[in-house]
Amino acid sequence: MKKIYNEEENKFSKMLKDLKDLPKIKAPDNFEYNLLTRIQNKNFDTVEKSIPQFNWIKFLAPSAVVVSAIILFFIFLPSSQENNNQLLQQTKLQNNQSVTDNSQSAKNELNSQQSVSSNIKIQPNSSSLLGSNNQTVKPSTRSPLYDSRSIKLDDYISGANKNQSNTNRGNIVNNGEESSPYDSFVVSEKPDKKTLERYRAVVDSIKKAQLKADSLKKVQK
Amino acid sequence: MNKLLTEFSDEELIKEYQDNNTPEAYDILVKRYKDPLMNFVYRFVGDRDICTDVVQDTMIKFYLNKDSYRSFAKFSTWIYTIAGNLAKNELKRRRRRIIFSINNSDDERSPQIEDKMFLAPDKAADGEIRNEIIQKALLKVKPVYREVVILRDIQDLSYEEISEITGLAIGTVKSRINRGRAQLQKLLKHIYKE
Repeated sequence: MKKIYNEEENKFSKMLKDLKDLPKIKAPDNFEYNLLTRIQNKNFDTVEKSIPQFNWIKFLAPSAVVVSAIILFFIFLPSSQENNNQLLQQTKLQNNQSVTDNSQSAKNELNSQQSVSSNIKIQPNSSSLLGSNNQTVKPSTRSPLYDSRSIKLDDYISGANKNQSNTNRGNIVNNGEESSPYDSFVVSEKPDKKTLERYRAVVDSIKKAQLKADSLKKVQK
Repeated sequence: MNKLLTEFSDEELIKEYQDNNTPEAYDILVKRYKDPLMNFVYRFVGDRDICTDVVQDTMIKFYLNKDSYRSFAKFSTWIYTIAGNLAKNELKRRRRRIIFSINNSDDERSPQIEDKMFLAPDKAADGEIRNEIIQKALLKVKPVYREVVILRDIQDLSYEEISEITGLAIGTVKSRINRGRAQLQKLLKHIYKE
């Protein structure tokens, strides 16, 4: 083993000689003075400490925050757009439904004179708040535009509509949706009993008048 | 007393410094090792100012951590280990600085020995230029090989001492020295043609 290394040394003999003959570097004259000064001043900061080193953690931490913020932004951005779209769809639906409602109510008015007015909205669940001017603000999520738009007044007064289901009460095409979560800002009037009775009296008088007219026609015939 | 101290061996001096905190013992050890360490670190790093700082830091570390020296080891291997570690750290730091520096020029990175290779042989034979070429070629050798080559062929330390300093087995030290020499010879093929 020794021989091999000796042979190797012979192979590099010239170079090794040059390496040994390289001039010896000596410390500067003030080396000891500087050293003692540093020790006396307790200046023990080494070269490594004095220069800030590149720190991967310090570099990666803010960039990770930025990247995660961008990712979160792109995750939540489509959902917010969806919400916006839903709102848009909802308003479209409402517009469509209000159009169908209006046409339906017009038909109803033509078909039957007995139905008084669809402008009066009645809330079967009396959970509404009574205003000072007998106006109610509906707190529930059910839209007055969609279901139970029109009712039979007589049935309502007599209490016969209690057994009616929601599907029979309205003539509205809901596009497969029963109710909308969107409650528009419609101020509806609470059905006043006196008003209802007045309407009923009017209707009754019309009915009586019609009956009288019919009987008179029969008599004339 | 002072006269006696100068006659002390390194190990006796460090013991004196450890036991009695004698500043003269520290001074003598600094005087004894400042030049060999300067030579070693300069050949390893290749910059005189950085080399001075590294040796100063070595002496500061020796001053602050005198008690970490254990008497079963040679003082020279202990102080060379400190200097070697600091020099390696300095090299790493410089490499990082070059990587992340915007202003690093190509001149800074390439050791320019190629330019000198094209000098006429009579000029290349000139001692000073030859030494410069050897130093620059040495800096091109891988640090793991460079360290052991310097310790063996320039500082003239034994394989056992190098093994202690580097913490490597003697066989590994010998093979690394050979590889280092081969690399250096290859780099200096223009000078050592035969």
